[in-house]
Amino acid sequence: MPDSHEPIIRFDHASFGFPGVIALKDICLSINAGEFVGVIGPNGSGKTTLCKAVLGLMAPVEGHLHIFDCACDALRCHHRAKIGYLPQKGVVDRNFPVTVLETVMMGRYGALGLFKRPGLKDQEIAIESLTHVGMERHRDTALGHLSGGQQQRVFIARALAQQPKVLLLDEPTTGLDITAQHNVIELVEHLHDELGLTVLLITHDINMIRSRVDRLVLLKTRLYAAGPPADVLKPEILSEVYGKDLVITEKDFVIVEDYHHHH
Amino acid sequence: MFELFTYDFMQRSLLAAAMVGGLCSVIGVFVVLRGLAFVGAGTSHAAFAGVALGYLMGWPPLGLAIIFGLSTVWITGWVEEKGRMKLDVSIGILYTTTMALAILFIGLMKGYNAEVYGYLFGSVLSVTSEELQIIGGLSILVLGLILLFSKELYFIAFDQEMAEASGIPARRIFFLLLTLVALTVVVSLKTVGAILVFAMILIPASTAYQLTSSLMTLTLYSVIIGVTTSVAGVVISATWDVPSGPAIVLLATTVFFLSILASPKRQRFAST
Repeated sequence: MPDSHEPIIRFDHASFGFPGVIALKDICLSINAGEFVGVIGPNGSGKTTLCKAVLGLMAPVEGHLHIFDCACDALRCHHRAKIGYLPQKGVVDRNFPVTVLETVMMGRYGALGLFKRPGLKDQEIAIESLTHVGMERHRDTALGHLSGGQQQRVFIARALAQQPKVLLLDEPTTGLDITAQHNVIELVEHLHDELGLTVLLITHDINMIRSRVDRLVLLKTRLYAAGPPADVLKPEILSEVYGKDLVITEKDFVIVEDYHHHH
Repeated sequence: MFELFTYDFMQRSLLAAAMVGGLCSVIGVFVVLRGLAFVGAGTSHAAFAGVALGYLMGWPPLGLAIIFGLSTVWITGWVEEKGRMKLDVSIGILYTTTMALAILFIGLMKGYNAEVYGYLFGSVLSVTSEELQIIGGLSILVLGLILLFSKELYFIAFDQEMAEASGIPARRIFFLLLTLVALTVVVSLKTVGAILVFAMILIPASTAYQLTSSLMTLTLYSVIIGVTTSVAGVVISATWDVPSGPAIVLLATTVFFLSILASPKRQRFAST
């Protein structure tokens, strides 16, 4: 297991956005190697911006962001491949002519660098990644023939094929049925345990992840709370972020009313 | 009929058609997958405006075609990136502007210039050995670059954001793709003409798209269809004395419609 005291992502009073439109302000947050962190917050709270920042697609306009102690703020270096990313579920064109294995092989491309051809070893890594998500049987199936949950598994395998240190998942359960949602979250938990990956999971679904994550990070432009789920999911904190009337907390359950309408 | 093949002009035409057919069908895979179909149309008209200006001023037409084509794709790519305007709107404007320029340049010429119209409608049967060398050189350049960057090109065609996030210089690869589209259009101008080159890029890849669910197979099928229909189109053109551009394109279109009928994808949807 990685040393859990070593921060691999560190926001140091970092703000992100464009002049006049700040999406995330003055964020101070360290994420340690091997942690399982859930990121929650209402729509427009800067969750996706946080994602882009960690991916190095957006440099801080103020403050600093250190990833793997890399000197460059925007991660325009080989470190980028060390973050396996599952984007918000776009609509996969059902006719897009790509097989499962071809999709997962793309995860090798960034790590390989320009001018290098993927070889047998890369194919082995891709198949191993498919095995991790339980999709190796479908390696020659067309991606469009799979269900939404299976496609998410394939995309997670693509992220794993990068042999990442961090797995960054942006709303991996959106658009899936309840069973598929549970399966995907269980798979992520399993990968965290088995491969010792640092996991950053962005989600709307607080109840789905509260018992599984080490820490929750609650965002609404600013960082409202970060800590063990029990410390973050307090009525007074949640109502401050989601609005007083929308939050009901009962024992081990949080209902943030109406969020589907904001969705 | 077979004596046709003993003529020099016929051998040159077949070679030119095979090269252009192969080149267009390879670049077409990325154009179709990345959704750049309209960019191809815009570029071919821009390149034609370059040719017209070349004949008007007595400058090298292919050189100007390359300059006009590249400017169009780069402006298009820049507009898409900035997201200031919808892509179809910006191409629509560039497309009509360059066509207006082409008509203006032709209007300013003294008298009728058959060679200019050759670039508009295509005349593979009159391809000279000098032109063949240019086509060959540019084809090798474009195919070489595609081969060199194929994994990156496939990735951005599938998902550009994801490609960038995993460390691929996606923006630069996108501009490389646009540049290759422009060069392909210029290479093909003389053979199939500015109006029909667009079809040569789209049809083989779209036909292959109907028939397979694998990127590699798609590319292979596309090339086979592109080369075969181009060569067969030239033979039809020479045998029955019909214009070569339309012969190639109509043949390819026929194959395309047959592929829709034979498509396993269509059968799957019909059964669900």
